[in-house]
Amino acid sequence: MLVLDRVTLRFGGLVALDEVSFTVTPGSLHALIGPNGAGKSSCFNVISGLYRPTSGAVRLGEQNLLELRPHRLAGLGIGRAFQNTALSTHSTVLDNVLLGRHTLTRGGFIACSLRWTRREEKRHAARAREICDFLGIGAAVDQPLGSLPYGVTKKVDIARALAVEPNLLLLDEPAAGLNTEETAELAATIGQIRTDLGIAILLVEHDMDLVMGIADQVTVLDFGRVIADGTPGDVQTDPDVIKAYLGATT
Amino acid sequence: MSKLLWIPVAVVLLALPLYLDASWLKAGQYMMIGAVGAIGLTLLSGQAGQLSLAHGFFLLVGATSYSVLSGTDDDLVGLGLNPLLALIGAVAISALAGVAFAPVAGRVRGIYLGVASLALVFLGLYLGQAAGSLTGGTSTGRAPATFELFGFSFSNEGTLIVAGVPLRGTERLWYLFLILLALSYWLAKGAVGTRIGRSWRAVRDNEAAATAMGVDVRRTKAGVFAVSSAYAGLAGVMIVLWFDILKPDENEFGTYGINTSIAFLAMAIIGGLGSIPGAVAGAVVVYGLPQLLTLYSTDLGWFTGSVTPVLVSSFVYGAAIVLVVLFEPGGLAAIGRRIKELRS
Ligand SMILES: Nc1ncnc2c1ncn2[C@@H]1O[C@H](COP(=O)(O)OP(=O)(O)OP(=O)(O)O)[C@@H](O)[C@H]1O
Ligand SMILES: [Mg+2]
Repeated sequence: MLVLDRVTLRFGGLVALDEVSFTVTPGSLHALIGPNGAGKSSCFNVISGLYRPTSGAVRLGEQNLLELRPHRLAGLGIGRAFQNTALSTHSTVLDNVLLGRHTLTRGGFIACSLRWTRREEKRHAARAREICDFLGIGAAVDQPLGSLPYGVTKKVDIARALAVEPNLLLLDEPAAGLNTEETAELAATIGQIRTDLGIAILLVEHDMDLVMGIADQVTVLDFGRVIADGTPGDVQTDPDVIKAYLGATT
Repeated sequence: MSKLLWIPVAVVLLALPLYLDASWLKAGQYMMIGAVGAIGLTLLSGQAGQLSLAHGFFLLVGATSYSVLSGTDDDLVGLGLNPLLALIGAVAISALAGVAFAPVAGRVRGIYLGVASLALVFLGLYLGQAAGSLTGGTSTGRAPATFELFGFSFSNEGTLIVAGVPLRGTERLWYLFLILLALSYWLAKGAVGTRIGRSWRAVRDNEAAATAMGVDVRRTKAGVFAVSSAYAGLAGVMIVLWFDILKPDENEFGTYGINTSIAFLAMAIIGGLGSIPGAVAGAVVVYGLPQLLTLYSTDLGWFTGSVTPVLVSSFVYGAAIVLVVLFEPGGLAAIGRRIKELRS
């Protein structure tokens, strides 16, 4: 269970997040939406430890995430995919996905160079292939990433986050840069991850329509403040939300 | 390279001392020294993306450590350790020196890191001269202990004849260097293909993503500096054995100077940053050329006055870098891959 408790984040005079509180319950697909500049990415970066909030708390179960160095989050079962796919373009798909196994494996220079980890590597490579198959990119595992279309690399990014074996998956605008068809396919993939793997997903998204079809719970941000928090049905009819979105588009 | 191709390569390298005379073997050994150092740098700068111009300094650390640990001179500091232990110790000390640089490496990036690391070369220049009791000083230097392995001496001592050819110091050192290079190569290959290599590439390509996947970026950078410095330290040990003397530089250009750091970077770039076979090929170009030109200098008759083999080969490898950067950023490694694809 991920809990944000009155998180405030200031950049100088600008309040990017203003007493933001919400809870992501285990196994749920929780969407965080809002118009441009609402503070979604800032919120995401606070959770993933890249920004330190001015005040407030972020907890995963009993663990206070703010007292950890950010690289520890993966070990706690938090997987993260990036807005603009942050992958190694020269490496193969498998090599990229295997990076997600980093905290699940051991071995520094000595163990690796002396091949002590060979069997473990094989085992984890098999699991990485399984994850790629699950996401429908199994045919591309041995190809260099640079040769693949954007839609596929997006899935590689998600595969890498899943390779962490997370119980919470953070997705930052996964539909950014995809066309309608690819977006629909992605929505299906996300739904499949939730139902087949049973992990909680926090989905940061700009596109209301994508979110409303698949989310269990929606939190709406506007000017750094939570203006609505509820089921897609509730939120869609909320006058504040309608106003915020209309205000942003007109 | 395919596994079968290694067999003829190994056979040729093992047989060469039976056919080549000492001056050629010396040239080959020099290339092997370059290859060991270049493998270390290609891991650091190619795999992990950390630019370093400090390689010359770490060579000096390894060279000095070996001389001190194994040394038996009365008037200099020397622990008189077994040469094999001294070699291992020198590699370990070089790795520690690399870790000591980690706080800097963790804070600055790219070209700034390159400049900061260059400062170490000047530190080495100063220490080499100031710590005369360790290095022997610039005027005389100090002779290193002869390398020995379980009582077998890598010198002209005793007689050892194989296929009618007496194996003297130079021939023996060839085999020692070959073992050290093969070991360096094999270890690097193992690291690059597995967990540690992936963490290096992750740090190189995107630090935020590396962190999100659980890679401790600070620690990874410190670790890869340690590994690269250990390789440079080993190359340093090899270089004192090759010269049969440790002699600190008198100015910033020399055995452990800026020119050396740049030569290693040139090997890594010409070979294709991050490629281990590439680093070896780069070393053959950058360190082989001046050696071959020197061997042929009288026949060629090109070299008069200030036009030395070293100068000419600097121009050649300078041009090679420009060509690589302009036409084939993947270096010799990429060219090799393309040839392989054409054949299959
Ligand atoms: N590093 C930063 N320094 C200063 N201000 C920032 C920084 N990051 C974000 N902001 C500001 O905080 C506010 C919230 O930005 P944020 O990127 O979180 O919004 P968002 O909801 O993700 O928007 P978008 O839909 O455009 O991605 C904006 O006014 C933005 O300019
Ligand atoms: Mg954003």
